[in-house]
Amino acid sequence: MLLTIQNLKVCYGSETALTIDRPIVIEKGDRIGVIGSNGAGKTTLVRSILGLVNYKGTIRTDLSPEQMAAHMQFNEYTDSMPVKYIMEAILATRISQNPKLKELISYLEFEPCLKKKYSRLSGGQKQRFTIILVMMQDAPLTFYDEVTSGLDFETRQKLVEKLAGWYRDKSAGLCIVSHYYDELEQLADKLLILDKGKVVDYGRTKELFHKYCGRAVIILDRCAEHEELTAGYRRLASPAHLIALSCDNEDVEKELAGLLLSRNINYKRSNQDIEILYINAKKRESEENNEK
Amino acid sequence: MKNKRNMILFELRNITGNPYVHLFGIAMPILMSYIVIRAACAEAADPETIAVISTSVFLGMGTIIPLAIALMGYAATRAQEMEKGIPERLELFGISSRTTLHNRIAAELIFILAVFILYFIYGCLFLTIKAPALSGITIYTACMLALTVIFLCIAHGIATFLKKFGPTYCLVMIFYFAIMLFSGMMGLSYDSMPTGVQTIAKLLPTTYITNDIYTIWTGERYRYAGMLQSFLLWAAAAGILFVASGSRRHMAENR
Repeated sequence: MLLTIQNLKVCYGSETALTIDRPIVIEKGDRIGVIGSNGAGKTTLVRSILGLVNYKGTIRTDLSPEQMAAHMQFNEYTDSMPVKYIMEAILATRISQNPKLKELISYLEFEPCLKKKYSRLSGGQKQRFTIILVMMQDAPLTFYDEVTSGLDFETRQKLVEKLAGWYRDKSAGLCIVSHYYDELEQLADKLLILDKGKVVDYGRTKELFHKYCGRAVIILDRCAEHEELTAGYRRLASPAHLIALSCDNEDVEKELAGLLLSRNINYKRSNQDIEILYINAKKRESEENNEK
Repeated sequence: MKNKRNMILFELRNITGNPYVHLFGIAMPILMSYIVIRAACAEAADPETIAVISTSVFLGMGTIIPLAIALMGYAATRAQEMEKGIPERLELFGISSRTTLHNRIAAELIFILAVFILYFIYGCLFLTIKAPALSGITIYTACMLALTVIFLCIAHGIATFLKKFGPTYCLVMIFYFAIMLFSGMMGLSYDSMPTGVQTIAKLLPTTYITNDIYTIWTGERYRYAGMLQSFLLWAAAAGILFVASGSRRHMAENR
């Protein structure tokens, strides 16, 4: 066990930003995706764990603050010198004398940026700079808070691939806050779903998917023809332009796939679609709250 | 130890990367002393008089160095960092604010020493500076060191309270020019000031340095009471501001 959160409550003035009633346990090597809309309490959770905000409740961990690394949403550095010197000062090393750092700089293709000042770096380069510093900490638990926000699609995809590649064979725990479902599919195997400052659910992505979506989902474009054709199948909540159908067992899935194939209709099949999972978890939570 | 050296080097780069420091902390005292000495000695033919004026103005203008570097430069850098959340970012990398403060103070002292060495090289090469008495150079060094520490505390306090570069820079610039003006560094000497202004000027340690430093430098008898009182007054004010800013930050973190 790396960290346990119990009865956590964070308030900003009179407003409650985050309440966690049930225990959240982060195990060694967990890759947790924290998901939720703006104001859900994602960053507040990270800041609480890092001790940057005051909270009521318990966050129990054997890790010292130095054993937790964090890439925050906004990372700024002095602009009075090239980033190379900032990097060497923070990491207390020389790039030329540190093979691991050299490897990381090369892996993240940061060599051409070393002589630039921080303000001269592009958005992606700024993110990579902090990522290098964070990765070099080699912490048992690392937080990435919206590491790709503000980046264009290509840069975002490349960065996530680099992150996924770097952590693939490592045992470090990760806690990734993101609005991008595809990123979480690549980086996380557990999900913490937050909404309006409360926990909707927490667990392994596969288990949560099974709980809210079934064995698999089949997703196709929404149109009158598709609505009519799939009327007999169990619908899941989905984005307005899509129809998401739950396949609770293999037979249903085969039948549905056969039907769509016979009509030459494009569809997507998934057993880990985080977007559909998230929408349905939120919907069920809302329904349960209404029943209460 | 190696890390400490790295961090002080980092802070030195941070200080030298601030263009205001070069302009107001290095160029300004050199330029001001040169202009004022030229103007004041224009009609003096006696080499002794020229040496007295040159030494007095040169040493007085030296006050600009801690004023610009410790007060203005530090406050500007600190406020920019506060505004950008840099201290918090460094804390997440395990570099505490206390460590940063210690390293920054060490770097400021090293840099100010280097600038004084440069300033004295300029003085010795281009001006006629009287040789000091041992007590004179010791007291001058102590005064500059005390001023540096006082200005650092004030700068740290103002920047920590205001947290924004704009208001901080505006306030320290007002301080900078007001201190220079009231201390008699801007052409208006203490004796020519109206009585009310003289009362304010007497509260500033820089006034005593500007006006009386020649006497001290050459080891002549001098009554230190007024100067000491002004130093104590500013040290107390700076200390209170420094401690209060620390408490405020601590309270903000725990809110």
